[in-house]
Amino acid sequence: MAKKTAEQIYDDLVEPVFRTSPRFYVTAIALGALVAAALFAWGYQMWAGIGVAGIRRPVFWAFYITNFVFWIGISHAGTLISAILRLANATWRRPITRSAEVITVFALMIGAMFPLIHLGRPWLAFWLIPYPSERGIWPNFRSPLVWDFFAINTYLIGSSTFLLLPILPDFALARDRSTGLRRKVYNLLALGWRGTARQWRSLETAMHIMAISIIPVAVSVHTIVSWDFAMAPVPMWHSTIFGPYFVAGAIFSGIAALIIVMAVLRKVLDLEEYLEPIHFDHLGKLLLMMSLLWFYFLFAERLTTWYGNQTSEMAVFWETQRGAYAPLFWTMVLLNFVIPFLLLTIKRLRTIAGTVVASLAVLVGMWIERFLIIVPSLARKYLPYSWGTYRPTWVEITITLGTFAAMGLLYTLFVKVAPIISVWEWKAGQHKQPAQGGGAREPLAAPQ
Amino acid sequence: MTRRWGMVVDLDRCTGCEACVAACRAENNVPTVGEAEAAKGRAIHWIRVERYWEGEFPDARVRFMPVLCQQCDAAPCEPVCPTYASHHTSEGLNAQIYNRCIGTRYCGNACPYNVRFFNFFNPVWEKPFHLQLNPDVSVREVGVMEKCTFCVQRIKRAEIQAQAEKRELREAEFQPACVQSCPSNALVFGNLNDPSSRVAQLSRSPRGTKLLGELGTLPKITYLEKGAWDGEKNS
Amino acid sequence: MKRREFIQIAGITGATAALAGCGHPEHQLIRFVPEEDLEPGTDEWKPSICPACRAGCGILARVMEGEAEVVRKNQLGLMNMGLVKKLEGNPLHPVSRGKLCPRGQAAIQITYHPDRITDPLRRTGPRGSGEFQRITWEEGLQELTAKIQELVRTGQESALAFFTRPLGVQAGRLVELFLASLGAPPAVAFEVFDEVVLRRANELSFGRAQLPTFDLGNTNYLISFGADFLGTWNSPVAHARAYGEMRQGRPGVRGKFVQVEPRMSQTGANADEWIPARPGTEGILALGLAQVILTEKLRPMRAASDAQNLLEGCARGLPEYTPEEVQKKTGVARATVERLAREMATHSPALAIIGGAPLAQTNGLFNALAVNALNILLGSIGQPGGIFFTPEPSTHARARKQKAISVRALAERITSGEGDSVKALLLYDANPVFGTPPGWRVRDAFERIPFMVSFGSFLDETSILADLVLPDHSYLESWVEHVPESGTTLAVESLAPPAMRPLHNTRSMPDVLLAVAHQLGGRVGAALEWESFDAMLRESLAALSKPGAGGSKEPPMSWEKAQKQGGWWSAPVNSPKFALRTARVPALRSQEPEWDGSPQQFPFHFLPYPSQSFLDGSLAHLPWLQELPDVLATAMWGTWVEINPQTAERLRIEQGDVVEVASPHGKLQAPALLSPGIAPDVLAMPVGQGHRNFTRYARGRGANPLEILTPLVEPETGALAWAATRVRIVRVGQGKLVLFGGDLGVSPRKRSNR
Ligand SMILES: Nc1nc2c(c(=O)[nH]1)N[C@H]1C(S)=C(S)[C@@H](COP(=O)(O)OP(=O)(O)OC[C@H]3O[C@@H](n4cnc5c(=O)[nH]c(N)nc54)[C@H](O)[C@@H]3O)O[C@H]1N2
Ligand SMILES: Nc1nc2c(c(=O)[nH]1)N[C@H]1C(S)=C(S)[C@@H](COP(=O)(O)OP(=O)(O)OC[C@H]3O[C@@H](n4cnc5c(=O)[nH]c(N)nc54)[C@H](O)[C@@H]3O)O[C@H]1N2
Ligand code: SF4
Ligand code: SF4
Ligand code: SF4
Ligand code: SF4
Ligand code: SF4
Repeated sequence: MAKKTAEQIYDDLVEPVFRTSPRFYVTAIALGALVAAALFAWGYQMWAGIGVAGIRRPVFWAFYITNFVFWIGISHAGTLISAILRLANATWRRPITRSAEVITVFALMIGAMFPLIHLGRPWLAFWLIPYPSERGIWPNFRSPLVWDFFAINTYLIGSSTFLLLPILPDFALARDRSTGLRRKVYNLLALGWRGTARQWRSLETAMHIMAISIIPVAVSVHTIVSWDFAMAPVPMWHSTIFGPYFVAGAIFSGIAALIIVMAVLRKVLDLEEYLEPIHFDHLGKLLLMMSLLWFYFLFAERLTTWYGNQTSEMAVFWETQRGAYAPLFWTMVLLNFVIPFLLLTIKRLRTIAGTVVASLAVLVGMWIERFLIIVPSLARKYLPYSWGTYRPTWVEITITLGTFAAMGLLYTLFVKVAPIISVWEWKAGQHKQPAQGGGAREPLAAPQ
Repeated sequence: MTRRWGMVVDLDRCTGCEACVAACRAENNVPTVGEAEAAKGRAIHWIRVERYWEGEFPDARVRFMPVLCQQCDAAPCEPVCPTYASHHTSEGLNAQIYNRCIGTRYCGNACPYNVRFFNFFNPVWEKPFHLQLNPDVSVREVGVMEKCTFCVQRIKRAEIQAQAEKRELREAEFQPACVQSCPSNALVFGNLNDPSSRVAQLSRSPRGTKLLGELGTLPKITYLEKGAWDGEKNS
Repeated sequence: MKRREFIQIAGITGATAALAGCGHPEHQLIRFVPEEDLEPGTDEWKPSICPACRAGCGILARVMEGEAEVVRKNQLGLMNMGLVKKLEGNPLHPVSRGKLCPRGQAAIQITYHPDRITDPLRRTGPRGSGEFQRITWEEGLQELTAKIQELVRTGQESALAFFTRPLGVQAGRLVELFLASLGAPPAVAFEVFDEVVLRRANELSFGRAQLPTFDLGNTNYLISFGADFLGTWNSPVAHARAYGEMRQGRPGVRGKFVQVEPRMSQTGANADEWIPARPGTEGILALGLAQVILTEKLRPMRAASDAQNLLEGCARGLPEYTPEEVQKKTGVARATVERLAREMATHSPALAIIGGAPLAQTNGLFNALAVNALNILLGSIGQPGGIFFTPEPSTHARARKQKAISVRALAERITSGEGDSVKALLLYDANPVFGTPPGWRVRDAFERIPFMVSFGSFLDETSILADLVLPDHSYLESWVEHVPESGTTLAVESLAPPAMRPLHNTRSMPDVLLAVAHQLGGRVGAALEWESFDAMLRESLAALSKPGAGGSKEPPMSWEKAQKQGGWWSAPVNSPKFALRTARVPALRSQEPEWDGSPQQFPFHFLPYPSQSFLDGSLAHLPWLQELPDVLATAMWGTWVEINPQTAERLRIEQGDVVEVASPHGKLQAPALLSPGIAPDVLAMPVGQGHRNFTRYARGRGANPLEILTPLVEPETGALAWAATRVRIVRVGQGKLVLFGGDLGVSPRKRSNR
């Protein structure tokens, strides 16, 4: 890659934060409208009663919990990936870590909404919080839902820190180059970053500690999410494979999300020179690996169930293989395995376009996977007399679409606040020696 | 010794008349959801009579099986509830505290018998139907899970009466609504910890089985299998 | 209500009033001084009688204090009063013995129904439009009395008709006295599923025009021909209790139960052996069984001669009914016939029951007599584990004695515009417009009647034609009385005072008749001198409990005790004796059923059956029963056509598809329900839905199978042969079934057992 001067880098990476094109407003308003629609749907649901959603007995969980699992999964894109890459000191990571971490934080926020949205009486959701109340009763710590509460909050705090720490130097940069109100704001955000050697050292150490500690957190989060299902004696839920299966699926969909986001940023912010084919190629390989891993889990799950041949489990098994849910099932296999496998194994196809197409397939496929894990098991649970069906309503569909819009909107807004590529890390990457102190030798932010 | 309430369902006596279903509805203020909701699979029947066809015409046979909350001793619906709305009482009942329920429906997923029913909307009683409501049983609001309680309000009434009269609760002093109405006496209710009680004796019958017993939920309801006709024995 | 008005009323009545103006409407109502003092939270159990079917189970009503909007002196207000909260069987009552069926449980909704008629009404719109205007009782009674006086004046007393559901003995007697003293023809009692044929058969066989009572608890072998005795027929609660004993009540002994019917009923579903014989051939099968027993001499000769007394040919061993013949006619394998015959002959006490569809054929009487003969042969008459007849408690003639005139005859008389046709009609709780085949033109006939009064509590298809509605109390609000025809071996006269005070501006029908009689005075006034119905009941009970009544040696029971326990009944009579009447019915007469419509054009037998929830449709207005899943179909809130899966496959009909069922007399549409429990050449449909009005819950829901029935009758009794219709079926499109059981759209075949 061509060596760039500080000025060029500044123009390429920081300028867009200040330059706002009409295109931004159009996008923001369009996405905002969709989000508003979703909020309206949710409001309507609270006013009219949860019954306006399509859930019914015995399928008590469906779209909302699917979205919950899906978005928490997506959140594994960032933190986990960038943490691993940081620790592995893969230099090609430098331009992509932040965009990944941003996904994590927003996906978590969105995912964490669904446990509220799906409640019958959301106005009492605060009973999940352990606080000394007049009711004198604590939440039931035996309930996986309470575990969720802790896991997700921990992860949200962790990943937010993980995102915000390395932005400080860039906020400082923005501060130094801006004037007026904006300067005041960035001054606050930069938390008095001056780029002294001490600050650099503590930043690097902090990042190291975070990178190490965030990995077990991320893994635990999706394991616990999987236990929402695995802990209940429901056919094909009650399975030890769910923890790793869910984590793998999470990283799988996370990478896919990251690839798509990168491709969009690359086009929209003209970052062709920063997000290069090589990045997509690397991530493509990662995606392929996860696709194979996912397929292995699927195969292991299906084979053991089929071989074990338990009446109650087979009812669910055949419903997904051959029955009402078969079309969805085979679409999922096509999207999560066949398509990515073809596009990513053949080198000629592992282009930016190729990886993006594969990623889109995986996103849809993984959403379907979450749905197929949840619904058929409930619809075919034990006593056949009590079997049931499920049809989503406009409320659930609107809210689901709204969350994707929300992700887009939050991202669009973020890009207006901070450089989506970590300026100092990228610069550090241009020097041949590792990042430590690199920044310090060439003060980015000299006090005026 | 504390009481352990339990039930026996004699499948050889049960005729599928559904008196139990109607009786439970009348006793426990079970809401009627109407055709549209019923079509969605949201009808609420704390006790139902399951019907299973076996074979084809002309050898078709039917099995009836009344299914209500099995009052499991190891109830999967209990640990998963984040607010203790579904919990175990000292007398081994699986209690449902409506005003604590926030409507996660997790318990409904965990219950292998699908006997937990959810209020998808606020129930309505067209005036003056509301005058029939049983004042001993609180009505449930939207977003709340409900289910068979073993007619706990009747248990409590009897206990309070016994205390007032400073005596022990007598066997068969009261019955749940379904048991009381059942014309063929297919349902028997009582204290399993009292070995002399009818329910305890019948629970030990060789015809006895537990519904989905293999799941280890330790139900307190015992099903007595349908007998076969043994011509020789009778002649 | 405007605030000023409210203050006036409050002033006038002087009742305490809650603060006005605050949002809640009930706080703008005046508060009446309670008419009774009840302890809040405590309950009281009061006896009454279930009105939902002829069995007349004794019930206990749980009464608790509550707060209701009620009308007093034509003034709406709030009152803390005793409200019935729950019904249970009356443990003391010989029929229910503390048990109830689902209909009995749901019957409480009749009292609290939002669409109950709350005040007297006068018709304002055209007939059937349902446009009425509230009037006062004074106006209403005035109008009725005037009309009757006019008839008397013009010497047209005989043009007054009284049309009713089967009444209790005392209410029936009151009505009879009323009509007789006026010189009007006797009342016409109407039921869709009446039991004329069986009563006639029992009269011929046993000298008792009465439904039988069975000692199932001691039966070792039970064969039932089409009788849904555990579900809807005769006295279901009494039967079910005894059935439980038959199965598991006797250590080491478990009675066998065989059901013969082409469509599996709730009762048939419990059978050890289910035998789908061809519709209408039940009598032939019964005699086939008798033939084997006779030829193999499995029963003593005396039994044979007893049977011979009833049915010619028994002595000769019924040569026309060899197993081969029977197999040809009934479709039941000869081996099966022989095996069953031997089993029942060797496992006494054995018992045969007949009811429902087999009696509703053109050869219904033959079928009944054949089964009676089989019972005589099995020696089950008046023996433990056999057939009994509930003793007559009262010296008065039974209200249910068959009247000279039937609904059909009456309708014919009117429509043919014959001489003294009906000028005024009094209607009580009968709905013949819904319950008779269109061929009888009952609606047409009723529309021609110049003046029509209904005492009903709801606007059903018939009472909506009325010019004047004088709404009755609900059964829980009035004095009730009933003499069970069957279900017990004791002599019983059930009787109970009101369990709660009336919610609405209504009056009980007997009291209204008495009031009218008093206004009329003269002969009528003299005949009905009681000031109220309960006075009449009290007198009748005094007569009853004279020693010896109902064959009992009881000391007279006090009026108070009777009210408290829910009636009067004799001491246990171990086996009431009755003579075997020698009727000598030629065995061969009318043994083959007749059908309307050619088998080519109409290849299917059409079997309407009383629905588990609604019986003949008179309970379709109760939401609890609408939402009660039919135990076999698991369907709610609708109706359906049952069809054999193979037949459906052949006709490309899938579960839930809308099908059109056409008979020579009409067609209807309903969703198809695939059931392995129905013969390939039979289509079955529950009666009860398809109401044109009859409350918000029943209106416009499903179709009424009675509307396509052929008007064939059983020749001797003139009873409607409601099972004698042939139909064709065709798929017309996609449809929907509301099923409680299992996945919608999955047919029972695919979803048999786990
Ligand atoms: N608007 C209005 N106000 C009223 C009244 C009214 O009718 N209307 N009624 C008045 C009367 S009579 C009364 S008694 C009071 C009652 O007023 P409160 O005592 O407040 O009664 P609730 O609001 O029913 O219950 C209080 C809280 O306890 C929680 N809770 C439920 N189960 C438990 C448990 O097991 N343990 C603990 N610690 N808490 C639990 C409930 O969720 C609720 O949040 O209200 C008085 N105020
Ligand atoms: N589901 C459910 N049930 C509950 C409770 C709950 O939280 N949930 N709370 C319980 C508790 S704590 C209580 S205290 C009870 C309260 O239950 P209730 O005692 O029934 O209280 P209200 O319904 O408010 O009042 C009863 C009636 O008294 C009437 N009234 C008002 N002023 C007067 C007057 O001056 N004279 C007369 N005669 N009548 C008057 C009102 O119109 C009202 O209809 O409810 C209990 N039941
Ligand atoms: S009431 Fe008794 S007999 Fe009737 S269905 Fe229920 S359990 Fe069976
Ligand atoms: S049957 Fe279901 S609801 Fe009842 S205790 Fe067991 S798990 Fe809980
Ligand atoms: S639905 Fe209610 S009872 Fe069930 S788990 Fe959730 S909070 Fe507990
Ligand atoms: S025990 Fe009570 S609550 Fe449970 S099913 Fe029977 S009647 Fe209903
Ligand atoms: S059988 Fe049922 S409907 Fe008939 S009287 Fe008895 S309880 Fe009522």
